[in-house]
Amino acid sequence: MAPASSPVDLAGRLCGFLASKLPTARELRIDSLAPITAGNAREVWQFDFQCIDGNAPRKMSCVLMRKAAAGQLETEPDREFRIVDLLWGSGVPVARALWIDSDGRWFGRPSFIMERVAGASDLPPLLKGEAAQDSRRLALNLAGIAARLHTLEYEKLGVNFLQPTTIESAAGQQVQYWESLFLKHRMEPHPAMVAAFIWLKEHLPTARRVSIVHGDFRFGNLLYEGDRINALLDWEMAHLGDPVEDIAWAYRALWSPRAFVSLDEFVSRYTELSGIQVDPETLRFYRLLGEVKHSIISLTGARAFVDGRTRNLFLADRASTISAYLMQFLDWLPGADKKTTSTARKL
Amino acid sequence: MTKPSIGDLLGGVATSLRESVLPELPTGPTRRQLQVAIAIIRRVSLVWDKVTSYLYFDNRDIEQTVIQICAVLERGQVELVGVDPAALRRRLKGDDARIEYPPHDALAARNIELQQLLVDIQEALHAPALHNASGPARAERDEIAAMLQALLRRMLERELEVNAPPQPAR
Repeated sequence: MAPASSPVDLAGRLCGFLASKLPTARELRIDSLAPITAGNAREVWQFDFQCIDGNAPRKMSCVLMRKAAAGQLETEPDREFRIVDLLWGSGVPVARALWIDSDGRWFGRPSFIMERVAGASDLPPLLKGEAAQDSRRLALNLAGIAARLHTLEYEKLGVNFLQPTTIESAAGQQVQYWESLFLKHRMEPHPAMVAAFIWLKEHLPTARRVSIVHGDFRFGNLLYEGDRINALLDWEMAHLGDPVEDIAWAYRALWSPRAFVSLDEFVSRYTELSGIQVDPETLRFYRLLGEVKHSIISLTGARAFVDGRTRNLFLADRASTISAYLMQFLDWLPGADKKTTSTARKL
Repeated sequence: MTKPSIGDLLGGVATSLRESVLPELPTGPTRRQLQVAIAIIRRVSLVWDKVTSYLYFDNRDIEQTVIQICAVLERGQVELVGVDPAALRRRLKGDDARIEYPPHDALAARNIELQQLLVDIQEALHAPALHNASGPARAERDEIAAMLQALLRRMLERELEVNAPPQPAR
């Protein structure tokens, strides 16, 4: 089935889909259907639905997440749905996963529905410190959520659909994954990126433990009200790996809460709550990997636009962000020489 | 005729869109798409005339650095599998060097060839065979690695000038 092209069409499909999932429901109605984002990895719509289920009225506010035609990530909605479903009730705040259209039969592309959670996700107000005390408490709460997520006994949770890893192989698997995307999507040789991958492969750390890693753990990927985090969003990059990866990613310059909580304080809080020690060299490795990872995400999005697989303009010029990320990579290398050369300036 | 320049035109288009079209759009995906389009047009308006010279200087810098790398390799302490100095020097003789005013496309194609040359050198430099290199060979390998790293930094600095140009005050 082709993707829905109008809200009316989408509302009809939602009704049909929900009826298939709720066979005892009658008088099903969709209201307030509206797009939240034309996302870079998926499209998100909010809606309310009500029905009579059995003899009782039922009413819910939901969001529909539909995989984008092409985007900056190669996502598997089925995997994300399953992990969020498993985390419900674990102490890690997530939205409740409700129903999935795995093969896109109803919505044209793989999609799932979550219960809507109250709160804002806007990043700029957080980083501008419009409520600095709230931003500070949110950052510390985020450290607490990381501690909770990373100390979950994931084997008991049943995440056997995630690629298994070990403390020895966790870093290498991530490098290999992102390098495979780089080789698939690059549009030119990119010697600086090749150099970055060589360095990473020569400096793989051993993890202290294996945990569920969110993979996109940061300000901007949470729903908050005041200083309270109601839900962590966007689990499409979740995997088993070294928990330090999430800490490093949370402090990338684009969304870092360092104006309110320094990285050292964040790590101290995290260690106090989780008992997981964060080795500085491992942290540096994952901060370096983070710059490469974001470069590849940008490259993947830019390639999708160049190939005509998406018309999302947000992805069109993403390749232009890569130089800054790779420059950050070079600056963080041990013994980096940050001098600007006169040759480079000759334009 | 040089005026209005392409930069003037694109900059004007971006300003018109921002001032007269954007305010008419409600918050939502369409407005966000236009905001991104304006940012792209603005960036292109600032760099359209710098991209060719960027490629020219990038190519020259890569070539000069590879010539220096050849000189190190010709000392004969370190051998890079598949990247001997004679082969490197042959690959440095690109068509664009023979043209007085190489067109943009020729410079871009040459840049890609030279990028690949750098990839080949790096991969050879980090091949397992060199992991247990002797003292003098290791010193030469490290010398070449340092030259490459300095070159990559210069290349990224040049890229930044066209990818993230300083924004003029409005």
